[in-house]
Amino acid sequence: MADYERRNNGHRGGGGGGRKRRYRDDEDYDRRPQRRRYEEPLFVQVRRQLLTIAESAARRVEDDVVGIAKTVAENYEDEELRDTLINISLDLVLEQPMKIPFVAATALFTYNSKPELGTELLNKAAGALQKYIDSGSWREVKLLVRFLGCLQPLFEGEGIFTLLEELFARAVDLQTASSEDLLGLELVKIILFTIPYVMASPATGFESQASALLEKTDIIASTPTPWWTCLISVLQSQLQGESSKGWELKCLPRPWKDAREPEGDEPKPFEVVAKVAFPQITVPNPVPYGSRALFPEVYLSVYAGQEVDTVPPVSDIATSLMRDALVDTLNLLDFNRVATAKYLIDVDCYYTRNTFVKRATPFDRMREMAGDNTSWKPEDVAVDAVFSQLFQLPTPEHKLVYYHSVLTECCKIAPAAIAPSLGRAIRFLYNNLETMDLELSNRFLDWFAHHLSNFGFTWKWSEWVDNLELPPIHPRMAFINGALDKEIRLSFAQRIKGTLPEPYLPLITESKEKDTPEFKYSSEATPYSKEGQELMQLIRKKANDDELQPNIAAIEEQAQGLGVEDPKVPSTDALVTSICFVGSKSLSHVLSCIERNKDRLLAIGAASEKARLQIITSVMEYWADQPGIAINIVDKLLNYTIISPLSVLEWALTEHIAAGAILSKSHIYEMISATVGKVTTRMRQIVAARVQKGLYEPQLSVLEETLSRERVEMKNLFKFIEDSVVSVASGSNDELMERGDGSGDMPEDAILRQWGRRWLRVFRRKAAVEDAFISDALINATPVGTHAPTREDPADTAADGDIHIADADEQ
Amino acid sequence: MSLLSVNTVDRLDRPSAYYVGKNKRRSRYNDRDEEEHEREDPMSKLHDATTLYVGNLSFYTTEEQIHELFSKCGEIKRLVMGLDRFNKTPCGFCFVEYYTHQDALDCLKYVGGTKLDERIIRTDLDPGFEEGRQYGRGKSGGQVRDEYREEYDPGRGGYGRAYDDQRQREEEQYGEGR
Repeated sequence: MADYERRNNGHRGGGGGGRKRRYRDDEDYDRRPQRRRYEEPLFVQVRRQLLTIAESAARRVEDDVVGIAKTVAENYEDEELRDTLINISLDLVLEQPMKIPFVAATALFTYNSKPELGTELLNKAAGALQKYIDSGSWREVKLLVRFLGCLQPLFEGEGIFTLLEELFARAVDLQTASSEDLLGLELVKIILFTIPYVMASPATGFESQASALLEKTDIIASTPTPWWTCLISVLQSQLQGESSKGWELKCLPRPWKDAREPEGDEPKPFEVVAKVAFPQITVPNPVPYGSRALFPEVYLSVYAGQEVDTVPPVSDIATSLMRDALVDTLNLLDFNRVATAKYLIDVDCYYTRNTFVKRATPFDRMREMAGDNTSWKPEDVAVDAVFSQLFQLPTPEHKLVYYHSVLTECCKIAPAAIAPSLGRAIRFLYNNLETMDLELSNRFLDWFAHHLSNFGFTWKWSEWVDNLELPPIHPRMAFINGALDKEIRLSFAQRIKGTLPEPYLPLITESKEKDTPEFKYSSEATPYSKEGQELMQLIRKKANDDELQPNIAAIEEQAQGLGVEDPKVPSTDALVTSICFVGSKSLSHVLSCIERNKDRLLAIGAASEKARLQIITSVMEYWADQPGIAINIVDKLLNYTIISPLSVLEWALTEHIAAGAILSKSHIYEMISATVGKVTTRMRQIVAARVQKGLYEPQLSVLEETLSRERVEMKNLFKFIEDSVVSVASGSNDELMERGDGSGDMPEDAILRQWGRRWLRVFRRKAAVEDAFISDALINATPVGTHAPTREDPADTAADGDIHIADADEQ
Repeated sequence: MSLLSVNTVDRLDRPSAYYVGKNKRRSRYNDRDEEEHEREDPMSKLHDATTLYVGNLSFYTTEEQIHELFSKCGEIKRLVMGLDRFNKTPCGFCFVEYYTHQDALDCLKYVGGTKLDERIIRTDLDPGFEEGRQYGRGKSGGQVRDEYREEYDPGRGGYGRAYDDQRQREEEQYGEGR
């Protein structure tokens, strides 16, 4: 748990013994045996109670909520305790959103017992909210507004609705300016996600305000134009449904409802004696964009369309409420995946009792219970939320491997509960491979192999045995081959072979088990074998460039005699294959080999386009059975600028397109994505340099020129992919048309065209995202031609400063 | 994006107790000797650290396997395998250097404590690789922890080497008529 550093400096300055009152009075002690012999400071106790609120199914959270409020109110003079309550409450709101209703209930009771303290908490929350609004941190705004929404009974008049109306007005302004504006939708999302918490709070009589607001948001949320408004329009209709059912909101906990007085009094309805005004919050106009890019959200479930629902259907408001809180928890706590996994598994603690079936209830048991089933499987709901982020387009908030690690952790904490859920998710994804977005099917592949590597590579491969009959370019076969390759990369061929049923064994060929692939020039049958071997020996002996030259020249001469169009191609093949062979021991071996021959390699690339492509061919062919190593070397060659990004694309999408068959290979997708990623990363760095504050001429023009040049190059790269792949997608690829009778009706032609379409979709999206990123960033960039302000700036006492600067320069 | 100064749960992207302890001991020692010497906070060396120490690897785990896993957190700038001081064979640790501090932190959070080659690996933020640190500091050339291990670990050369030698000696002397 959190460390114990958070205490007010100086408060305990009196040299210890500052505790004035203990948590329990003496008469309590005979009821509960005292376990601790040492005196635990009260604030430590309260901190722990707050931090773990609602976590234990063995305790009544309703009692804890009242207990904490009582303790703090009774010890109001303890400053450390007051600060603990206020700070931990807000920390929980901002880091563990599933606990908001419980933290809010504590705040309600605190207010009732000690209005001053409740008000202090409200003010601190309002201050934080104002700060987050001003910085455009909309997730934090959403969470704090939700917290205040839960406290609606404390407020005079309309309370939170005034703020919601104001947020709505800003959303309308943004939407009027552009209906594709995402910030406006984000504001609407905040409003919609607040309403249910207000309606589930002890406040009553706000039905008309809620309906009125819903009627207004309907105009924005239901605008049918862009397909991606769907998350919001789904939420909108769920809320309308809920409103017609009198705001039942079954899943939301009401911990204030069954609160018992510690002495065992009858539960009392929550009532507030003296209300306060809703804190003053200013929403700037226009509202600021935050630092986090907004992207449309789509609702995704890997448990859709099962014969028995294990997660709430899309029509149920519980879907949105739980997903939103789970996803926020997941993304906010990325610094501790173990804690995150625990909170996900504990999801059933944070919603009403009958929302879920018992943990680890088998799917078959769910099937038997079907019919009167309105309870969901907690593991499925939790896992679903993680997959929704793993499959977030264009990119999730954190690195993909974070979401891998959370699933691994979940599986470690509760294997019996989580593993079967993951199994069903894997089957769902596998069955949808053909139509899945290609980026996502590759994320699935990568996660699958990585996940198995954490659990002894055990998977029920037998259930896919029938699919081994499919052609190798079929998405399912491509997945199986890609997954096995990735497993081998994380382990080794023999080990993976041992995990597979017999029918799969032919997929792991003997040559995949070899650590060092054959050196083709060792065979007399290979052209230039003598020169190739000599070249290899020289490279092994770390000969210098001059010593290599005679061999290279001999190959080129011989090739010329044979009428080879570009004699540099066979000489490059011999050189690069030798480097690969000599460096086959490890990545660092091959890197030092490349390093030693860098100048020659750079010269080859510059001299002949064909030879440049041959560099890639030689690497890919030498490591054909371990494509992971091949693409790794290609990646390093890009870093050395021995090959260019465009040459990698040309190599794959022109030279080796094979009627589109190459598009089915997952390592090719990986290589092209990585290559494009290098270019876009560099582009983003240039953009960051261009838009930094305080930049003036002449640097502005220099950067602007670099930016324009690189932007054109990036566009050309995307255009090259588009042009190459579009012919496969449309079936007009030359090689594709030459296959069979040229009718394009061969059984595999449809599959090839589909690969083309899936590639197009991914790279068109990437191009659009990058283009939008640059355009958005440049909106606020200092215009070219801006000169540094003259030093007689009237705004400050610049005259003085001038002299100082001049002095400094002279020294 | 939270602006909290303290989190509600521990962070996994902090230097390990081992690093903190080791440096504390050292700095205390230095303080006594050269009081005037500027006291450098050992943590400050980690502020922009891009290197990780990776431990508990199998002796058989290859650079390629390490690369495959660790590149999930960002492009790797350099990978230095830990070697036995005498045989120059892998001895179960390595240094992974990223281009950015953030990638190194992410690696602590997302990869540290997960499995590579079916062993739970340990990652620790490191102030940076220096020549010489790639060698084991144990008596027999490997890592110190492999000298006195009493359990058999097939991935790390069996029993501790100190015991191994002793066992071997006893075996050789057996029956030499003492």
